[in-house]
Amino acid sequence: MTAHKRYGMSIDIDKCNGCGACMMACAVENNIPPVPESANDRKGITWIRVYKTDNHRAYPDRRTAFVPVLCQQCGHDTPCVHVCPQQAVDVDPETGIVGQMPERCLGCRYCMVACPYHARYFNWWDPVWPAGMEKTLNPNVAPRMRGVVEKCNFCHGRWHAAQQKAAAAGIREIDAADYIPACVEACPTGALRFGDLNDPSTEVARDAALPESFRLLEKIGTQPKIYYRSRRDWVREIASAPRPDGKDQHRG
Amino acid sequence: MTTTRRNLFKFVGGGAMGALLTPAPWRLITDTALWSENWPGIPRPARGEITTRFTHCTLCPAGCAVRARCVAGQPVSLTGVNPHPISRGALCPWGIAGHQLPYHPARVRQGPMREAIAAIERAIRKRSAGERVAVLDLRPGRTVSWTYRRAMAALDGGLYVTPPQSAYAIDLAAAKTVVSFGAPLFDGWGTPGNVFAARTNFRLIQVEPVESRSAALADIWLPIRPGTEAVIALALAGEIAVAEAARVTGVDEKTLGAAKEAMAGGPVLALAADPASPLMNWNAKLGALGHTVVARRESPVPDTWKKAAPATQMAAATDGTIRVLLIDESLPGGYIPWSEIAPKLAPDAVVVAFTSSSEGYARHAQCALPTAVYPETAEDVGPAIDTVAAVFRISTPLIAAVVPVVNPGQFVSRIAGLPPSDALRERADVIHKAGSGMLIGYADGKSTPVKAVTADDFWKTLNQGGCWMDSTGKQTLPGKLEFTASAEPAQDELPLTVVATEPRRGGLESTLLSKLERESNLRLSADRVALSPVDARAGGIENGARCVFETARGRLSVAAMIDAAVPVGVVEVAGGPRVADLCGANGRARVVRA
Repeated sequence: MTAHKRYGMSIDIDKCNGCGACMMACAVENNIPPVPESANDRKGITWIRVYKTDNHRAYPDRRTAFVPVLCQQCGHDTPCVHVCPQQAVDVDPETGIVGQMPERCLGCRYCMVACPYHARYFNWWDPVWPAGMEKTLNPNVAPRMRGVVEKCNFCHGRWHAAQQKAAAAGIREIDAADYIPACVEACPTGALRFGDLNDPSTEVARDAALPESFRLLEKIGTQPKIYYRSRRDWVREIASAPRPDGKDQHRG
Repeated sequence: MTTTRRNLFKFVGGGAMGALLTPAPWRLITDTALWSENWPGIPRPARGEITTRFTHCTLCPAGCAVRARCVAGQPVSLTGVNPHPISRGALCPWGIAGHQLPYHPARVRQGPMREAIAAIERAIRKRSAGERVAVLDLRPGRTVSWTYRRAMAALDGGLYVTPPQSAYAIDLAAAKTVVSFGAPLFDGWGTPGNVFAARTNFRLIQVEPVESRSAALADIWLPIRPGTEAVIALALAGEIAVAEAARVTGVDEKTLGAAKEAMAGGPVLALAADPASPLMNWNAKLGALGHTVVARRESPVPDTWKKAAPATQMAAATDGTIRVLLIDESLPGGYIPWSEIAPKLAPDAVVVAFTSSSEGYARHAQCALPTAVYPETAEDVGPAIDTVAAVFRISTPLIAAVVPVVNPGQFVSRIAGLPPSDALRERADVIHKAGSGMLIGYADGKSTPVKAVTADDFWKTLNQGGCWMDSTGKQTLPGKLEFTASAEPAQDELPLTVVATEPRRGGLESTLLSKLERESNLRLSADRVALSPVDARAGGIENGARCVFETARGRLSVAAMIDAAVPVGVVEVAGGPRVADLCGANGRARVVRA
């Protein structure tokens, strides 16, 4: 029997230049359509979104960092799973990936409210591509209909493809090189890494153990599987979203 | 037991109530949504045999190697090619979605080809002495560029014009400290994979007024007042006092001192946003010439091609003398503001643009003729600025053109009366005959000496996924250090200095770029500008308000974004042909409420 995986990602914020290659690769891989002209940053669909953040100081002391935020794949008390009345969200025990089943989703958006990372997106419009462009869609991922919530699933289509390849070769374990999410593959700076956090020999597991490594909103206890790292103090501080008045509230 | 009407109702009612306590109705609700996945409005991705093909991206001069995943022959995703020694498996956001460009809704899909040929031939026939026929090549260095040059040499009074070009290539891997004067090193300057591979070896001192993506990742950022780059160069060169430079540029002395200290660590390279900038001449004094700044090398061409018109600048043409202007805008490249071109045209000039986009010169030309777009394009990619070796790589078409297109090279050849030829094959044969360098195949990642392959195999590999690369012999460039501080005084009518921070090369851009612009505000879109809170408050402008961006040459309707990262007195724009036409060389503007 194969050991259960715990897929996760490490993101080096000090390397990210905010180019957006990860966002484009994600949209291409997962058949995420461009939104209508009237849409804004609240109605767009970006399974991975690079946020531009800063140290809150005035020019010229202001410094910027780019923080890619995707579904954090919470490993404990996964909020979206708890609130979904449709069982449209689940955590795969084999991989640790938080999955979303759009065909079950009723579009109530409880999960969006529950998600502390704003990593879920509602489909406000029918998926429409300019005439002819639908030929360029990825056949491994079905476009989602209007009125459902969607989010990053670590390119689950690629995981299935890797499994099929392994099965065809008669082996149980997939080759790590066969399963890399599109954003990680596309990152030109090498800021994104992906792998099994349960395997201490993987780069991502080693990154997670680094002293400058941290997770977003660690204090709320959801145990995300996305590990960020930065040598800049102010970047690490914003990850815990401290309240401006200093009265930080902790869960429990 | 007797069946009565009452018992029947009890049974049905009880059954219905009981059913509510089972999972069945809830499951039914869940599954009612299943049908919607396949309703007619949802596109169904095509199925078919999955294959892998290789080509080169033509969206910028970097020419990154591309691996295309194709379904039934149609590319559905593009990634980089790891064995490629320069692009190293990386692609930029534009390149990743390049396979969608042929279907772009704003693509130029038809043009008056016959009328254009007739008008050009009439103009050539009737032109007076001294009037010229010119080709403006926005992406020089390609094989088709040689065709243009040969055609202009064959025509009486032919002129081959390019935007300002750098004659040098940069060996980033050999630098220990890079002083960048606004060059977007990490965002569109060179080949992304090559730049990031070299990044761990050099310290970056970024000199520019706003914190661009390169400044954000720089080791030291010098936030200068716009237009004072030369003063920083003089201070770092030790030709003026640091205190004086700090006073003029607004950068504090401590930061300037740290930058000067960082330069002591090893070979220093100076880069400017404009490759023709005199700031590049500082490299002579820094000792970079021949080491990190070397002559740019082109792959060999047939001897018969060398009787070609020289490349000239638009400024060198006499005013009012260009009777026919053919503009090759088929690939995104440099842009010369229309205000610099218009005076050179004869009163009854014919202007034809070969383009896929209606945003660039198509706005000014009498005829805009549609061309192939990447990945329909079949041509080579010229040398990139960060490629020291001579290279020859072909952008092999992944699909046939989806609209009727004009081949600009064949069009110009016909006008000049050149015989039809397969210029790419001719050049490949000359390279193969020379016998030097290596052939790199992308499918297996192997490098093979050119001498070990036949001419046909060489050509086949170039077309099916491979490139030719020569040895990296470096050639020195002459240069000198000449600086003058050229900070422009503020003007009351146009109080803001325009700073373009986004790498826009014109041409079509994927509709998915909305993810980076409107859907996330990660990048500034072409219809937005960013202002400091102080300037916005002074103009009574609120965040997101519709405004007019006004320069001495015209106006543009934009949305204003307020950003505390923008310094006072600066308006940040995305760049592109429209802004270039509006701003020209004098980048000053004002933003007022619409």
